[in-house]
Amino acid sequence: MLLAALAAFAVAGLLFIPYGTDPLSAYAFLFAEAFGSLRGFGFTLVQATPLILIAQGTVLAWRAGLGYVGFEGCFVLGAAAAAWLALGGTPDGFPYALPPALFFPAVLALSFAAGAVWAGMIGVLRVRFRGNEVLTSLMANYVAAFIVQYLVSGPMRQPGSLPQTPRLPRDTWLPYLIPEARTHAGILIALVASGLVAVLLRATPTGYEIIASGINARAARYGGIPVARRQMLAILLAGGLAALAGLGAVLGVQHRLMDGLAGGAGFVGIVVALLARLDPLAVVPAAILYGGLEVGGAAMQRDTGVPSAVVFILESLVVLFILGSGLLRGWRLPLPWSGRWRATSRKAAE
Amino acid sequence: MSAVPLAALRGIVKRFGPVLANDHVSLDVRPGEVHAILGENGAGKSTAMQILYGLYRPDAGEIHWNGAPVAIADPADAIALGIGMVHQEFLLVPPMTVTENVVLGLREGRGPMLDRSGAAARLAAIAARHGLAVDPSARIAYLPIGVQQRVEILKLLYRDARLLILDEPTAVLTPQEKDALFATLRSLRAEGRSVVLVTHKLHEIMAIADRVTVMRGGRVIDTLDVAGTSERDLARRMVGREVVLRVARTPARPGAAALRVEALTARDAAGRATLRGIDLMLHAGEILGIAGVEGNGQSELAEALLGLLPVTGGRILLGREDITRRPVAARRARGMGFIPADRRGTGSITALSVAANAVLGEQRRHTRAGGMLLDRGAIVATAREIVAHFGVRTPNVALPAGKLSGGNLQKLVLGREVRRASRVLVVEQPTRGLDIGAVEAVWQALLAERDAGRAILMISAELDEIMNLADRIAVLFEGRLSTPLPADAVTREQLGLMMAGRDPAAHGRAA
Repeated sequence: MLLAALAAFAVAGLLFIPYGTDPLSAYAFLFAEAFGSLRGFGFTLVQATPLILIAQGTVLAWRAGLGYVGFEGCFVLGAAAAAWLALGGTPDGFPYALPPALFFPAVLALSFAAGAVWAGMIGVLRVRFRGNEVLTSLMANYVAAFIVQYLVSGPMRQPGSLPQTPRLPRDTWLPYLIPEARTHAGILIALVASGLVAVLLRATPTGYEIIASGINARAARYGGIPVARRQMLAILLAGGLAALAGLGAVLGVQHRLMDGLAGGAGFVGIVVALLARLDPLAVVPAAILYGGLEVGGAAMQRDTGVPSAVVFILESLVVLFILGSGLLRGWRLPLPWSGRWRATSRKAAE
Repeated sequence: MSAVPLAALRGIVKRFGPVLANDHVSLDVRPGEVHAILGENGAGKSTAMQILYGLYRPDAGEIHWNGAPVAIADPADAIALGIGMVHQEFLLVPPMTVTENVVLGLREGRGPMLDRSGAAARLAAIAARHGLAVDPSARIAYLPIGVQQRVEILKLLYRDARLLILDEPTAVLTPQEKDALFATLRSLRAEGRSVVLVTHKLHEIMAIADRVTVMRGGRVIDTLDVAGTSERDLARRMVGREVVLRVARTPARPGAAALRVEALTARDAAGRATLRGIDLMLHAGEILGIAGVEGNGQSELAEALLGLLPVTGGRILLGREDITRRPVAARRARGMGFIPADRRGTGSITALSVAANAVLGEQRRHTRAGGMLLDRGAIVATAREIVAHFGVRTPNVALPAGKLSGGNLQKLVLGREVRRASRVLVVEQPTRGLDIGAVEAVWQALLAERDAGRAILMISAELDEIMNLADRIAVLFEGRLSTPLPADAVTREQLGLMMAGRDPAAHGRAA
């Protein structure tokens, strides 16, 4: 595992050479930017927040045996729901404003519900009609993106401006934890969610039933576990968590709703979950690593001109190598044997 | 040794991680003999044969063929030498015909086209010579399992195999099909071909084999002439101690009706009827044995009773309660248990630990904090209790259940279901693939449950098991159940005929 990660870094390091940068100092720079200062680490946490939430959603859905990949859709709809409530429905606002003590619970619930319903539709298609959830959830991402496009260019558009909503009222922003890095309280939401997912899966009978349904639905049914219901629960929670990632992006970072808000986080989050091998506790460090890579990559592009695409390649290589290492364990065995065995046994036969 | 052996293993050693599967295994197969390899599960007999067939490579030792050492790196090498193997799971392509399956992978004749009629003619000739009645143009999917096995043997003969390795060939056969197989094996022997029969059934060895090699714990214990030995002697050598092949049992004291099934019908996914009106009555404190060759509705009946298979008609009554439409969990909660035939695919979740499997279906009863959290202590305690009481051999209860041997996994499943099922236990093929020691343990446990007043429905394809355990016996054939008869009123031969659908007393009749 560690070896695979190091191998990925080594291979990706070659890509620095054409830019006249030596890989070691490039990595040193990258990690110093991401983790070397409180400010850098704050930026890293901002990047890691949506990744943690989406990765936990992935853990839940995939552990339940569902190949759900519709987190981008949940993300943007969760963001839209949060923006809608924060703006009071329209640019003109509600006639009254919710006090913060009520607003934050309400916005969390509404946003979570938006993502849960969106993912739940896919869940129903899967458990009731045996629709292929990989395809349906992937397609649903586009529908969700177009819904948000419609909202920001129509009903929720700031008059006479780009297709985006007006800036949200200051009271509705998530508070900053590290103001100089604009690290918002979303990371706390993500950490609490991680703890809850870990407890759910590891320590509750419901988690046991979700995992059993995912590994062997037949045996789970035989044990009397309502497999369809447990899979529905997992997908509802997964969608809700991804929506909270969207909430964080709107209330914590952008402070307005716009098109293209998710920016691929819905997929990178899946990658993070795979890197963590679907272990809810391993998700947090994995997401922070990936958040750090993105922060470091952006800084490197800004300061040295090495394109941040190199970092994307690195991220992808890490996952490929780590997933590959699992495969290789199985594949490696016969390979050295076949050569040796043939050689020695031929000799014996002569 | 007088004659040069056709095939010989010389000092074969094979390790799988820490497990020494074959420890200096040496054995000879002479030309024109039926050579049985006898041993319990895990004795190393399958490993040795898979090495001979090129599926594994030995860590040490040699394979000789006609007296000369040879290298067998993969099955293609083995086939080229003239070694063929029929595995327990058949490797046939169901939508293709018999001829197509037989010539699959062969290149013969010139040109790119298959010579189907030529192949069919050659096949028919081989089949006729060895009494392997098969229609070359029939599609595999429509052939009974016994005929599919003939096709597997034909595949080997078509390639002119000199040595045929058959791994547990009789597990899926009716007694009559078994006789036909043995006739074929005799005919092969008469032609000078050699047959290696991997088995743990003693009476089959006595019936067909010339010599027998007994293996235990990865080693060859002995190679004997069958004529000079006995079942009892072989059993002792195989297990390493005296074994009782019959269980001591007292007459049943049946109590009140525990389970009643009325006109139960079910269909498979394709809409074909699998259960065609099953009626049965099961009493507390008795074992009702359902005999029959698999594929006649056995699994469907078991699954319908537990609620895994939706029924299309009829009623199931547990005590006085109609449970026909109740889900699995409700039936379990009312005291039903089920030991499925497929213990790795249905009866357990092999990736999870022994402890997690020990509470499958009972996870909600091992909780604390008002049912919110799993009570790990209670789960481990339950698991340890089952492990201790049923003698499950495992280093600890955190081991993934899939790493248990078949017998130990079955004891775990049995222990779990028995612990829970206060009223009715549905048991399907409880000792399939288990070695003698484990069979004994499972049988004893089932009898103990019967004597404790549980109602047990035992579905089994093994006549020995049915004859030994059941108080009443019925035969399931083509989705219909014969009227149950007292166990002492039927003979093995009658059951065999009924299993093949040939007894006028049975409801179903063969076409």
